[in-house]
Amino acid sequence: MNQRHHRHAWVRQRSRLAQAVGLGLVALIATAGCTGPVRSDGVYASKAAATAEAAASAVETAQLAVQEAAAGELFGRSLAQTLAEAASDAGDAQATFDAIQPPDRRSKVLRGQLDRLLTPAASVLADLRIAARWGDTAALPRLAAPLPKLAEEFQRFEEACR
Amino acid sequence: MAQRLDAALELLDRQLVDKDGQLAGKVDDLELTDPGDNPDPPDVTAILTGPAALAGRLHTPVGRWLAKAAARLLAPGHQQPSRVPLDQVEAVGASIQLKVAAGQLDAGAGEARARRLIGGIPGAGDAAQ
Amino acid sequence: MRKLLEIALGVLTAIGGFVDIGDLVASTETGARFGLGLAWVVVVGVLGIIVYAEMAGRVASVSGRAVFDLVRERLGAGVGLLNLAASFFITLLTLAAEIGGVALSLQLATSVNYLLFVPIVGLLVWLVCWRVRFELMDNAVGLLGLALIVVAVAVWRAHPDWGAMLHSATHPVVPGTESHAAYWYFAIALLGSAMTPYEVFFFSSGAVEQRWTRSDLLVNRLNVYIGFPLGGLLALALMVAAALVLEPRGIDPSHLSQAALPTSLVLGKLGLALALLGFFACTSGAALETALSCGYSIAQYFGWPWGKLIKPARAPRFQLIVLVSIALGAGLVLTTLDPIKLTEYAIVLSAAALPLTYLPLLIVANDPAYLGDKVNSRLSNAIASAYLVVLVVASVATVPLMVVSKAGGG
Repeated sequence: MNQRHHRHAWVRQRSRLAQAVGLGLVALIATAGCTGPVRSDGVYASKAAATAEAAASAVETAQLAVQEAAAGELFGRSLAQTLAEAASDAGDAQATFDAIQPPDRRSKVLRGQLDRLLTPAASVLADLRIAARWGDTAALPRLAAPLPKLAEEFQRFEEACR
Repeated sequence: MAQRLDAALELLDRQLVDKDGQLAGKVDDLELTDPGDNPDPPDVTAILTGPAALAGRLHTPVGRWLAKAAARLLAPGHQQPSRVPLDQVEAVGASIQLKVAAGQLDAGAGEARARRLIGGIPGAGDAAQ
Repeated sequence: MRKLLEIALGVLTAIGGFVDIGDLVASTETGARFGLGLAWVVVVGVLGIIVYAEMAGRVASVSGRAVFDLVRERLGAGVGLLNLAASFFITLLTLAAEIGGVALSLQLATSVNYLLFVPIVGLLVWLVCWRVRFELMDNAVGLLGLALIVVAVAVWRAHPDWGAMLHSATHPVVPGTESHAAYWYFAIALLGSAMTPYEVFFFSSGAVEQRWTRSDLLVNRLNVYIGFPLGGLLALALMVAAALVLEPRGIDPSHLSQAALPTSLVLGKLGLALALLGFFACTSGAALETALSCGYSIAQYFGWPWGKLIKPARAPRFQLIVLVSIALGAGLVLTTLDPIKLTEYAIVLSAAALPLTYLPLLIVANDPAYLGDKVNSRLSNAIASAYLVVLVVASVATVPLMVVSKAGGG
């Protein structure tokens, strides 16, 4: 009887600890994906690099999709979906990045440089999305012409940041 | 039925099976006589089943909370444990065989309530192919 | 002859049904970001699920009882409840992810917003679980899932440098653009996607309902030993395809559309159509299985009647749980939470909870009171225990890695 009593007390203690740990874990998991405020230019530069990476991914996706469409390898609807998603990815990347306050002048310059790439990229991808939705597959290669250069510039920017 | 059992081993958490072979819940807790000053072990007077019964038995706060939540969600209005008196028990073995049908058990109320909820949906009475 | 057909059907549906949205997302993303650097995790994961699924099938065949039922009896109500809570929560999350996956596949094929498909998908999943010829549907989507073979064909037709690929798979290197934390985080995610807990509950519950006995042990083993590795090969094919086409271009897939690009590049519209069919089929099958597993777990723990083959009126609480689970899952997707992100969380949390799922199974499978002379052999115990150690390590490392790698983003 005594043994059981001890075991109960121990189990209670252990479970209280487990509860605390559990709550702590939940809090950690919930904040795992958060982005915090940026204080140093090093952190800002790495966020800029990450944005360039994301934008490059969207640009490359669009390029590949247009290439496949030109070769007759994609259905109209899937093409439209792919290009729409690429366009929204680029838009999201820019919006997230622009929402961050640059901490100093150097970062402000960086932001200007990246925006000079992001804005035309977003514009091209938006045009592609619209053309695809209208089924204007023939116009896609022409509209996508600026993409390879943009992809290259994003790559260079990313390397410079890291 | 004056049997001596290791209740924790042979009774608790065992499956209850009704007279038609249907599953009827598990032994979630036991109703015991108060031993008082009697050195003999207490007698089992009834089997208790249902999430509310389970909540009473678990000692970890997390477990108790979970069982109480389950009780509220799965057997609403039945906050008291459901009782299966021993005279309804046929045999004790790998599972606890009962003399009655699940529907007649006090514990059958949860199933009955669920049946009322979904019984109206077409196809409830037909076996799947 | 009839037996042979049955076995063939079992193996084929095991192959086609192996991949789900978790494998799709994990394999494609790791292939695009790490090349073949995480291919070894797929191998490890497939071997792990083989060992434990065979165990679950054997337990069901010999004892005639399903996993949750026995876990509670053998390990007590407290441990059983903890196991149940974790498993149910994760299976529910996975169900939501699968429903999202079905909707995304339909969106990719029709360009109609996936949210519009979610209620329809939820309703159809429920209808099939309710009574519409479950076995037929499950086999149908299992076989249709074989369409994913097109991805393997595309990889083969792309004529990659097999030597170089084998080298990079056996000499994994973390790419310069990725952190080590991200590498291990995705290793855990990949492990969670291969060793999905619901697979085990579904497998054992199905075996009990179909009244498998000792004589079915061989069929069980064939399904598992042949079907699962080949299914795992499909998951690997997805990873290789992403490594060949997406990685060189720096494409980080966050949409299903990007997962289909490699196949359409090599095999054109036909390849794309089959890939879409495969995506749809494997996510649908998994949606059915997870929905039922939600019901199985709770009903088996509390000892209520359960089963997809009996009439719903005879297992009303089970059916009610399935219905509510599907509604909750669909509801979660309708919150417009990104289904891909949802999938990532589901598989990572699955990985973290794996020891809770598999340790009880290992204990039960060693108990002669339930399995008689069919308890685990020393070999399977050795392998299963080794896996448990790996799973515990992975489980403990999950949250720290999630934080350090910012959920794989950093």
